[in-house]
Amino acid sequence: MTPLNTFGAIMTQAIGLEQGLADYYERAGNNDRASACARRRQKMMRIRREAVLEITLEAIDGLDSDDYALDLEDVSENGQARAASTAARFYREVAPGINVRQARRALERAAREHAGQ
Amino acid sequence: MVERLRNYIGGEWVEAGVREWSPVHNPATCELLAECPESSAADVDLAVQAAREAFGEWRRTPVLERAQFMHHFKNLVEDRFDDLSEVVVRENGKTLDEARGEVRRGIESIDFGIGVPFMMRNDGVEDISSGIDETTVRQPVGVFAAITPFNFPFMVPIWFLPTAITCGNTFILKPSPQTPLSMQLTCELIDELDLPEGVVNLVHGGVTSAQAIMEHPGIAGVSFVGSSPVAKIIYETCTRNGKRVQAQGGAKNYIAVLPDADMESSVKNVLGAAYGCAGQRCLAAAVAVGVGDAYDRLRDELVKQVAGLRVGYGLDETSQMGTVVSAQARERIVNMITEGEREGATISLDGRDLQVEGFEDGMFVGPTILEDVTPEMSVAREEIFGPVLSLMRADSYDEAVELINRSNYGNAASIFTSSGAHARDFKYRVNAGNIGVNIGVAAPSASFPFGGQKDSFFGDLHGQGLDSIDFFTDRKVVIERWFEG
Repeated sequence: MTPLNTFGAIMTQAIGLEQGLADYYERAGNNDRASACARRRQKMMRIRREAVLEITLEAIDGLDSDDYALDLEDVSENGQARAASTAARFYREVAPGINVRQARRALERAAREHAGQ
Repeated sequence: MVERLRNYIGGEWVEAGVREWSPVHNPATCELLAECPESSAADVDLAVQAAREAFGEWRRTPVLERAQFMHHFKNLVEDRFDDLSEVVVRENGKTLDEARGEVRRGIESIDFGIGVPFMMRNDGVEDISSGIDETTVRQPVGVFAAITPFNFPFMVPIWFLPTAITCGNTFILKPSPQTPLSMQLTCELIDELDLPEGVVNLVHGGVTSAQAIMEHPGIAGVSFVGSSPVAKIIYETCTRNGKRVQAQGGAKNYIAVLPDADMESSVKNVLGAAYGCAGQRCLAAAVAVGVGDAYDRLRDELVKQVAGLRVGYGLDETSQMGTVVSAQARERIVNMITEGEREGATISLDGRDLQVEGFEDGMFVGPTILEDVTPEMSVAREEIFGPVLSLMRADSYDEAVELINRSNYGNAASIFTSSGAHARDFKYRVNAGNIGVNIGVAAPSASFPFGGQKDSFFGDLHGQGLDSIDFFTDRKVVIERWFEG
């Protein structure tokens, strides 16, 4: 159980998720998705640096990283669909907890992008 | 062997000419991170000489070129953003999110410095008299120094440095000896800029070097952030020595919560304001005044939300609150809570004995709530500078304003309400330099002056914003006539 209870914890989870998926899609031979994940990882790293405002940091509750565990072994079409669905759900569920508009927009967009894959 | 810090003077890393050192500890792990020299008056004098020698060339450097250095500086800070944030956590004890936020706020001040060419423009009037034109010119003043505190070891020095030097001055920085490592790394980045030697100088130390800065005739102005008693001494000593001075002191910031406030959202924000940075910020919420029946709802919601706060090592991203800065700070905070209890306050949440697993020797004080606090109690009057929120009752909005204005401090005050009329009246009547409306930490961004009234500020021109342009420049008036033929 690792709580996603801070802005940094959520963004670091997103960065790790995109890194894991980039490697996964590469193994699956899906280079388009792999490079999309690598780009999103860069964006999430930038958001973690730029969208943190010390005076508006607020505690976040009710989220845990275990709820978004990915199965990165199964590289079949079905497996890829499940991974994309989990990633989309992660972004969809964490976005409302973020009170910085720029960051929330990026998370919502990532949800849409994963859902569209 | 642990690193012994050196001063950065005239573009060189040099050893301080003394043999007194103070330890720099990680307040969570108690690891000895470095030893900080207690620089002497002679060390300060070396820095002043270097800064004075650099001033002539630096003020002649075109302002756009000076601003260009700030672009490069910003890029270097962005490149090392994560390293700087980690250093802040390790030496100060705050959480990684708070440290990242601090570095980001510092970068805002570099952005402001990049805008100095625009802000240094002059004005003038043609034909102020027949055939005579009158203009003003902003000129740099000379050597400025900043004496900065432990609680924001990156951000506060950067409030001053970019604007001071982009205006054409040279600069000496003396960071807190408790947290000197953020500025040590920052000066390593500054060294990469290839600024003319002596434009920026770093002198480590405590009281001895601060005293030397205050008294040195070669320093034109001093910026200070710290406690009110020290701010007053800095102001008096600097002005006696003919210097400009902006001295930001301590605070006892009140928050008024009205019955019409959105309680859940308000408390979420009050919680960040009271316990963010473990309460060690001059804009921290220290007293929450519940007006009328808001008091009970405020207390219940606070206790509920605060109990869930996760306290731990700042580098663990699941920590929502870190340590206080030192064992002395911890002891002082614990003693003040005990004194509040002795004076009649009820402790609804007690953080005095908090232990964090794996960091049993860490300088942790858990979030604390004191109830039934009355205006005469020490916890209502004196700055605690720790994660302690005192709750007070007021029967009416007017009584809440009266309680707030009774404080000797005037750094910040906030109101939580859905009434525009009350918010407007609050902005109008409350004697504090920074006012928050549904914002618990009323921290001005870099383009606004950092306000402060009563015992929270000594001086005329505040840090940040256009005040800082006035502070770091002198306006010369040129009255001009040309004879014809």
